[in-house]
Amino acid sequence: MMNKVNPLAVMPFEKVSGWRLFVKTVIARAYPRVVGQQREKSWIFFDIFLPMLAVSAYVFVYRAIHAPEEYIGFVVVGGAMTAFWMNIMWSMSMQLYWEKEQGNLALYIMAPNSMMAILLGMALGGMLATFLRAIAIILLGSLLFHVQYAIGNFLQLLGVFFAAMTALYGLGMITASLFLLFGREADHLVQLAQEPVYLVSGFYFPIRSFNFWIAAAASIIPLTLGLDAMRQLVFPSGALLGFLNVNVELSVLLVLCVVFLFGARALLGYMERLAIREGRLTESRR
Amino acid sequence: MVSNLAVETENLGRIYKIHGNTREKNVRKELIALQDVNLQVRQGELFGLLGPNGAGKTTLIKILTTLLAPNSGRAFVSGFDVAKEPEKIRPLINMVSGGESSGYGLLTVRENLWMFSQFYGLPSRESYQRIDALLKLVGLEDRIHTKSSDLSTGLRQKMNIVRGFLTDPQVLFLDEPTLGLDVGASRAVRNLIRDWLNQDKTRTLLLTTHYMVEADELCDRVAIINHGRVLALDKPSVLKQSLQREALFEITVSSLNGLNPSALERLPGVGKATCQEVGELSKLNFSLQEEAALAGVINLLTESNVRIMRLDKHEPTLEDVFVNLVGRSMDEIEKEESDDEQG
Amino acid sequence: MEKTSAPNRSEVWRSFWVATWLGWQIESNWTQPFLFAIYSIIKPLAGAAILVVMYSVITQGNFNTPIFPYLYYGNAFYQYVGAIMTGVSWAVIDDREHYKTLKYMYIAPINIPAYWLGRGMARFLTGSISVLITIGFGVLFLHVPLIFANVDWPLFIVALLVGVSMLAMMGLILASITLLIAHHFFLIGEAVAGALFLLSGAIFPLDVLPAWIRPVGFVVPITYWLELMRRSLIGNVAQAFPTLSRFSNLQLLGILIGLTILFAIASTFIYRFCDYRARELGLIDRVTNY
Repeated sequence: MMNKVNPLAVMPFEKVSGWRLFVKTVIARAYPRVVGQQREKSWIFFDIFLPMLAVSAYVFVYRAIHAPEEYIGFVVVGGAMTAFWMNIMWSMSMQLYWEKEQGNLALYIMAPNSMMAILLGMALGGMLATFLRAIAIILLGSLLFHVQYAIGNFLQLLGVFFAAMTALYGLGMITASLFLLFGREADHLVQLAQEPVYLVSGFYFPIRSFNFWIAAAASIIPLTLGLDAMRQLVFPSGALLGFLNVNVELSVLLVLCVVFLFGARALLGYMERLAIREGRLTESRR
Repeated sequence: MVSNLAVETENLGRIYKIHGNTREKNVRKELIALQDVNLQVRQGELFGLLGPNGAGKTTLIKILTTLLAPNSGRAFVSGFDVAKEPEKIRPLINMVSGGESSGYGLLTVRENLWMFSQFYGLPSRESYQRIDALLKLVGLEDRIHTKSSDLSTGLRQKMNIVRGFLTDPQVLFLDEPTLGLDVGASRAVRNLIRDWLNQDKTRTLLLTTHYMVEADELCDRVAIINHGRVLALDKPSVLKQSLQREALFEITVSSLNGLNPSALERLPGVGKATCQEVGELSKLNFSLQEEAALAGVINLLTESNVRIMRLDKHEPTLEDVFVNLVGRSMDEIEKEESDDEQG
Repeated sequence: MEKTSAPNRSEVWRSFWVATWLGWQIESNWTQPFLFAIYSIIKPLAGAAILVVMYSVITQGNFNTPIFPYLYYGNAFYQYVGAIMTGVSWAVIDDREHYKTLKYMYIAPINIPAYWLGRGMARFLTGSISVLITIGFGVLFLHVPLIFANVDWPLFIVALLVGVSMLAMMGLILASITLLIAHHFFLIGEAVAGALFLLSGAIFPLDVLPAWIRPVGFVVPITYWLELMRRSLIGNVAQAFPTLSRFSNLQLLGILIGLTILFAIASTFIYRFCDYRARELGLIDRVTNY
């Protein structure tokens, strides 16, 4: 390619900033994983097919104990939503620790972009696999296990889903900010955040099974109320097994969106300053 | 805040807490990485930080690039405080470290560089043009579509160097940039540095290295740093001149033919003379208080039928300056520290 | 494909014990002992609690049915599957991408499979803690049946040892495959373990599965291993389920040993192939970075 550019001369164009820099950063950080996944496709087996089998195991547990059929549907929907929880735990939080170990984190911090944009880019980069996993579980699970849906209000369902996702990714940024400080305990802490969250958020059973206060406390995790509301909206008997009214749950989710997004911004800034002060951005502590 | 100084530090200090093996009782708990560092780097300068491994160079660079906060003192880059205004500094700087493994293995060279350019807000089209042109400058144009995991260490370092220049920073920090590069590539990088600075006098470059020759060749001024302290700071020529007033010469001869080296010392203007056998040749080393005295030395050798093979004049090097300041050479210090760790 | 010479016994042992030491150094000192204890308690119990709550919701808290100890013990011992498979296979990613030492291991005079198995030992040990905690909690608080006097200890020990060996061979297969793939996903070992959860009769008898997929469960050695573990601890209760009731303990053990040998042979061939391909393609020191 003919190139008459003098790369050592002063750049004759302006660099963008503000929201345009934010968008550029998101796209640029999502790029490696999106492209990497096209170039090496083993993730289709490990990240989509195998988890589908794992979720199916819980279906058969219910079958073995003769549970009502709607519980099968609960497992299918809950299993699909685990994909999003895994995305924020591994593609955001743990990924941030990994970037620190690889040396990229220092370069991200040093650049004039926003950490929120970097984290969002990381999450979006894994979103292809996440969405495929969720859709595969829902579609194949529904077909194989003859799950019956009765969607009353599709717009409300979409609203609940997006509110839950927005709040969830805000929470993901908050937890990711903690990982600016962590060393090798990062891996174990992320693993610790799997089963307990699956348990208290009711991924495989209605959260109503717990007493009110446990369920209320668990509602801090957006997927708890998001999952409960979605089940109420898609299953015929969902409302009977729901924790709170769907509108109440949607309202709480919207509040969580605001709280978590603003909280993420504040905490990311604070954690970054703390990590810089303590020298944890570029050294492995252990 | 407008300042003519690109970098300024005032009594800068940094201490690291060491989290060692708790079973080792004698392990140090704290490491003083920097102590009372005062620097002023002017705009347009190519400033060198010299010192052995562990001297504090990288710590200083990390503080100036807003990755690490000082424990004491202050530091400013382009007039902005590194601790209080990092967001104002970051659009103006970039950094390249030797041996870094940044980027993503499954992306090509071009893709990795494009990605980093986006974090600085460069428009994509112009970014690609700059990437292509810079890769050509460092001799990497034929690997533009190679995945970075397939690059050798040296080629990867070239990619890293391009990343540093790509965003056209006002202040560029190069932390041992020629690590892993061959002689030709190192020379190309040094030329790139000089050309880059010449194109815009407001650009500043801070270079850390423990290759004295590199600093001597490139830098307008150097600071010699050891154990977190700045031992000397001036132009390389001034530092070398301060070391001694006499010129050093070395004459290689085929044979002394019985001439005693002390005979040279009796000549006017000639200082201490020594002789060293190197294979079948002999090397006479002597100092002259004035260069005119050289003629007398040559005459004596000629009268003694000594055949002169070669004549060299030695300027004191920065290594000599360092040894003079610290008392040991860089290699000796590193060997001592290595022995301490093993012992 | 080039022929490799038979591994030297002392080289194998040296590789194994050094890797075991290294694996323990990595796994054991990531946090303070108190936090390590919290982690070791919460994680396994949370996993078990999911099943307990699911069961409790449907059966209204009736833990006196045979299916409850079946799924509880199955789940408890299944933790070894994830731990060992992850422990062995993660060493490849950890060494290759994180510490970037895989290439140095490769050029050292060590036996690589033995090295990987050694690295997995630490997870086996931490997995054992999880299994003990899970069983202890179940026995103490959920009335999961366990009478020490009735435990068939010889069967328990032999089955455990053979089972762990079997899992190690599976882990080795996964580690070999990991040599050829990029680091897209942190949880390869857990993903495989999760999938086998469906097919190994861990938390429900194989009879619950549709007929067309059931045969797969009979080929998975974990099925027989878990059955033996249950039988050694709770004998008659385990044998109440028809899936494997026609097999005696000795027959099950024989099948398990046979499958373990089969997997060991398979792991040898798969390792050799993957090792050759990885070196041919230059993947030993490939770093994905993300």
